[in-house]
Amino acid sequence: MERRLAIKQILFLAGGMALLPSCLRDTGKSSIALQTIDVSLDQEHLLADISETIIPETKTPGAKSLNLHLFAIKMLDDCYAKEDQELFFKGLDALQDRSEAQFSRSFQKLTVPEREQLLLAIEKDEQAEPAIKKFYDIIKSKTIEGYLSSKYVMTNLVVWELVPGRWNPYYAVKSA
Amino acid sequence: MSNINIDSQKTNTYDVIVIGSGISGGWAAKEFTEKGFKTLVLERGRDVQHIKDYPTTNMYPYEFDHRGQMPLAVQQENPIASRCYIFREDAAHFVVKDNEHPYQQEKPFDWIRGYQVGGKSLLWARQTQRWSDLDFEGPARDGFAVDWPIRYADIAPWYSYAERFAGIAGNKDGLQELPDGEFLPGFPLNAVEDHFKGVLNKKYPNRHVISARCAHLSKPNQIHLDQGRAKCQNRTLCQRGCPFGGYFSSNASTLPWAAKTGNLTMRPNSVVESIIYDDKKGKATGVRVIDANSKQEMEFYAKIIFVNAAALNTNLILLNSKSDRFPNGLGNDNGQLGKFVAFHNYSARISAEYDGLLQWSTDGRNPAGGGYLPRFRNLHKQETDFKRGYAAGFSARRSVNRDSSGVGAALKDNLVKTPLGPWQVGSHMMGETIPKAENFVNLSKDKKDAWGVPLLNISVDYDENDRLMKKDYIEQLSEMFTEAGFKNIKVNDSSQAPGLDIHEMGGARMGHDPKTSILNKWNQVHACKNVFVTDGACMTSTSTQNPSLTYMALTARAVDYAVKSINKYEI
Ligand SMILES: Cc1cc2nc3c(=O)[nH]c(=O)nc-3n(C[C@H](O)[C@H](O)[C@H](O)COP(=O)(O)OP(=O)(O)OC[C@H]3O[C@@H](n4cnc5c(N)ncnc54)[C@H](O)[C@@H]3O)c2cc1C
Ligand code: SF4
Repeated sequence: MERRLAIKQILFLAGGMALLPSCLRDTGKSSIALQTIDVSLDQEHLLADISETIIPETKTPGAKSLNLHLFAIKMLDDCYAKEDQELFFKGLDALQDRSEAQFSRSFQKLTVPEREQLLLAIEKDEQAEPAIKKFYDIIKSKTIEGYLSSKYVMTNLVVWELVPGRWNPYYAVKSA
Repeated sequence: MSNINIDSQKTNTYDVIVIGSGISGGWAAKEFTEKGFKTLVLERGRDVQHIKDYPTTNMYPYEFDHRGQMPLAVQQENPIASRCYIFREDAAHFVVKDNEHPYQQEKPFDWIRGYQVGGKSLLWARQTQRWSDLDFEGPARDGFAVDWPIRYADIAPWYSYAERFAGIAGNKDGLQELPDGEFLPGFPLNAVEDHFKGVLNKKYPNRHVISARCAHLSKPNQIHLDQGRAKCQNRTLCQRGCPFGGYFSSNASTLPWAAKTGNLTMRPNSVVESIIYDDKKGKATGVRVIDANSKQEMEFYAKIIFVNAAALNTNLILLNSKSDRFPNGLGNDNGQLGKFVAFHNYSARISAEYDGLLQWSTDGRNPAGGGYLPRFRNLHKQETDFKRGYAAGFSARRSVNRDSSGVGAALKDNLVKTPLGPWQVGSHMMGETIPKAENFVNLSKDKKDAWGVPLLNISVDYDENDRLMKKDYIEQLSEMFTEAGFKNIKVNDSSQAPGLDIHEMGGARMGHDPKTSILNKWNQVHACKNVFVTDGACMTSTSTQNPSLTYMALTARAVDYAVKSINKYEI
């Protein structure tokens, strides 16, 4: 326990999130410490693939290397009501069902374009059942939130300043 | 045995005791220590040293586990604190948790507190405006509460005194209803804020939008550098504590200044239970304290006691200070202690969009927050179906129209583009409420806190005047927004409970007459002349201004009077 805490703190300082190497935990369980939900390692990998489909690795890092799926899981664990958590997991299963129904394969076996197609269909499906809708809302919004507030984006792409040191009330916009 | 008593009496004796180390207590400590008085500050919370004890101050958004949001379990455990915008991962450690310090709500009241050295001065939004005679004369003119025993001329020099030290940014706007002060340069309005100001100038002769006046060092003077503070760097992360000392807090300003004199003794973790009154001497001799950690009881003694525990806690301490002379609480001969509590009505907001002036945006951050619309209703005479009026905040910011549709590489590219959208504008109301005997606090008859102190029972509510005033705010702001060409106007008529304004006042009001007030014009308890109250508890009425600058000025003024009285052997 002590060691786990210490490691947790080191990782916390390093990455801003409590990431636990899975060697310290039961195999088959998610690699981060969770309070209110159970996420299996398989589910974690699936969520990683879904997040990676939303924000893929290009010339710049994507969801997996920025651990955005872990951020989403952490937020689901700590910041969502039980009903939403339950819908989320039901929705995750429903997504696999859609994958099987449409492509006769699990999501993980799909090609990237197929994965995108599947997610886009959910996004556009106004009749989608509440669980899959909720699931998609959460995973997409938290992946995006995690991305925009990641160290990578905040220091390289849309720079967030700790100390702006200025207030310019009339900043001319180039092309209005 | 008696020797030990005498010894402890000696070591526990000071010239002055100040209860509370927030905005008003910090000022009392500064003033007394500067004048050579050995001063003991008793603070119920833990110590918070400037910079050293600001654990989140330099954290980036990604360093917060939930990017600022409080976990649901914490929110569910703290429904009251969670209703305050300040209760987020970066500042929650400065906010009182619901179950650690319970109180009784006869009617819903969100009591937001900061129990630590510095009190709420770490967390405040730093808005600072002077009162004018239009405010001080309010109760007498409109027939409510009692007449204020002071007028603007009594406090004006003390406003100047407080402003020069604290550092207030603002412009000389030349408005009778909002007197100018000793200002550092103001933070200028942006294009749309200026536009709104211009529209009001043209269409409504007595309505003005000014740069919000705030306790920030826009351009520090020597007196600020001497405090170890530096120019505000526009971080707008103030609630975490500012490493530059760019805004005024007790921690950055008055307390280190007091410490430098060598006359300050700061005792954190000291819960003042009551004030000790000596029937024979006919005055207060000290205070009873419970150590917050050991729960051990002890006593401290002084010639003068300043009560600065923040309005409602000051009422609690006075009510709990019972003696043969004062069976109903210190100074409470007339039964009015705890009554005539009032607050600011913050229960309406309005927002809209503006698609003009798109050639402009802003860069950097404005610590003042934008504009301020001083009270314009019933200024010189009664004009509406409600008494008094409201001030309003007004600010505009350019929105970002991010395209977050779809998935994949295109989405990823779109997310880091920040195309500008229309301006978003917003306003919130700050209404004066009328003090009434029915709005009161008293002590719980049967429930005590973990330190054996009775819980405070709060019974405060809105009234018909508040509802009529809110209706007018919504109508007037909607009309002004329409005049200014703002679109998509949305009214948020919230049912937020009193208290969330964090401007609770009264209970030990000032007045001419000991029969109808607790304090005299020097903030001195009528019936116990060596006890002074200079926090919000003293307020006879609330007007519409953010109150803390007035507490600073009243405190400095009261210390000056107390010192002169001691020198003349009057107290
Ligand atoms: C989020 C927020 C925004 C605000 N914005 C503004 C603003 O823009 N402008 C403005 O004017 N005001 C604002 N305020 C209100 C402002 O913070 C208060 O008016 C001000 O701090 C009051 O000063 P005070 O000395 O009376 O109380 P505090 O600053 O609250 O200090 C009181 C101190 O007394 C201590 N204490 C209480 N009971 C005891 C006891 N029994 N024994 C020992 N110590 C005790 C407390 O722990 C605390 O440290 C805001 C407040 C908050 C929280
Ligand atoms: S806006 Fe100014 S005062 Fe506030 S944290 Fe910043 S630098 Fe400090």
